[in-house]
Amino acid sequence: MGFADALAPANLLWALVGVTIGVAVGALPGIGPAPAVALLLPLTFRLDPTAALIMFAGVYYGGSSASVLLGTHASLEVNRVAPIGRFVGGTIGAVALLVAAPFVAGIAVHFGPPEYVALMAVVFATVSALAGPSLLKGAASLVIGAAIGLVGQNRLTFGMPSLFDGIDVVVVVIALFALGGTFAHLVEGTGESRFEPVRGKPVLSREDFRRSWPAWLRGTALGFPFGAKVSAYLSYRVEKRLSRNSGAIEGVAGPAAALSAASVGALLPLLAIGLPTSATAAVILTAFPSYGLQPGPQLFSESGDLVWALIASLFVGHILLLALTLSPARVRLPTIPAYGIHAGVLVFACLGAFAAGGTIAALVVLTALGLVGLLMREAGVPVAPAVVGLVLAPSAEQQLRRALASSEGDWTVLVSSPLTVTLWIVAVLVLLTPLVVALRASRRS
Amino acid sequence: MNRPPGPEQRASALLGLLMVVAGVVVLVDAARLPGSDEALGPAAAPTLIGVLLGLLGGGLLVQARGSLRTGNGKPRRLWRLTALVATLLAFAFLLPIMGFVFCAAVLFVSAALLLGAPHPARVVAYGWTLAVVVFLVFDVLIGLSLPAGPWGF
Repeated sequence: MGFADALAPANLLWALVGVTIGVAVGALPGIGPAPAVALLLPLTFRLDPTAALIMFAGVYYGGSSASVLLGTHASLEVNRVAPIGRFVGGTIGAVALLVAAPFVAGIAVHFGPPEYVALMAVVFATVSALAGPSLLKGAASLVIGAAIGLVGQNRLTFGMPSLFDGIDVVVVVIALFALGGTFAHLVEGTGESRFEPVRGKPVLSREDFRRSWPAWLRGTALGFPFGAKVSAYLSYRVEKRLSRNSGAIEGVAGPAAALSAASVGALLPLLAIGLPTSATAAVILTAFPSYGLQPGPQLFSESGDLVWALIASLFVGHILLLALTLSPARVRLPTIPAYGIHAGVLVFACLGAFAAGGTIAALVVLTALGLVGLLMREAGVPVAPAVVGLVLAPSAEQQLRRALASSEGDWTVLVSSPLTVTLWIVAVLVLLTPLVVALRASRRS
Repeated sequence: MNRPPGPEQRASALLGLLMVVAGVVVLVDAARLPGSDEALGPAAAPTLIGVLLGLLGGGLLVQARGSLRTGNGKPRRLWRLTALVATLLAFAFLLPIMGFVFCAAVLFVSAALLLGAPHPARVVAYGWTLAVVVFLVFDVLIGLSLPAGPWGF
């Protein structure tokens, strides 16, 4: 049923548009899938929701793996084993999503506000602890996002009517990611640099394949449940340890599959529970209400066709992505000089902010938050937790209020079921992880 | 990561300071919110976030302490940043008066030149082309209704 929708010519086209944009923003320096989806949001409000979500998902899985891989160790190995690794990770991830999503949604239907509060605590702990170089910096980012999320209604508007409706998520994401990146580029003075594409034939030898396939599978197994940042790192470490020779090929094949599986895996909590676990997923979530969709487990019963078409599009999209990354066309793309890319990004950022806010105030807020983004980047503070905090903190407050209203102000309602207790313990353990790792590292040295 | 630790520490200290100030602003704003008989009033979340902003900002400051006393590294190109911010603000205020195409072209050209583009004439051509293409695609084709200047585009 979903495949019929996903294979409809229009949706096929949107999947292709999505992965093309994804590959482009992934290959260009300083841009990633999150600001790309944010820029597309205000421009696609009139699109059919299924088509829009298929495109956003395409940008997500098309862009999330390329950025990290090309940024760190662009080499011939990347060109040979990464595209197929991505295909393997994404396709197996899509199968896992297909099987697990209805199951998880079936459980999540019974979740009440206390369960949601506990789940959000786990997400907050995870993004703070694992997204950045340290817990302090990750948490700082999360709280900055949450503070921006407070603006609106009668809070923090300073009597300015333009702030009464709050600051649009699109404006914040474009500012922190795209403007922050451009500003950093300006301060570093690297505008003359060109992004050199990887040359060489992406032909996979039998030897490559023999060495890659176990790494692809291990990467997929790590990526789907653990998310991009952690799994890419873990997968790289695992492959380095397992391989008897240099491990260069395995060390690329594993993370490529992991990153791809992670971007598909992030769709599981997003679709089945309505909970974003990454910056891009958070941006996609904010699109749901504007299409008249209610994110959460009821999505499967209310808009089942859309969900199945989206999941089916993952299979189709990964075939398109494979064809695209193996075709010679992509080699030509990144030869645009960096100044052109960044100046163009600024024009599109202003266009997106204006389309989202429709006011001059949105553009002023965009510039101010761009400076905050620059400062965060320079300070080594990750930006992704801020986006999760921005989107999730207001709904955490709402769920907490609901939980307390149902219990007439009794806070013990938050730990009233085995599931909530377990989730709170998980949240605490995740927060302790960086401390334990730091302790072990200091003992070893 | 491969950046020298000096600038990162300074930025960290500055961000920490900014967070502490923002925390105070959030707390002051929360204090004037009306109380309520609910278990979780409208001031509860801002109070928590204000406190957290202060604590985490203070943490960043402490972690980066001493960095403000050590000498500067290479001179930073902050004047370029100031110029770009001024351009962006000018874009914001001139957009309704001068129209999208003109403002976008000027924004592209100024940004590219500030970023170190080598051929000014070529950049001007790129800027106008991009602005016109964006206007045609989003205003005419998609119907986003971008602001038009006195000359109608």
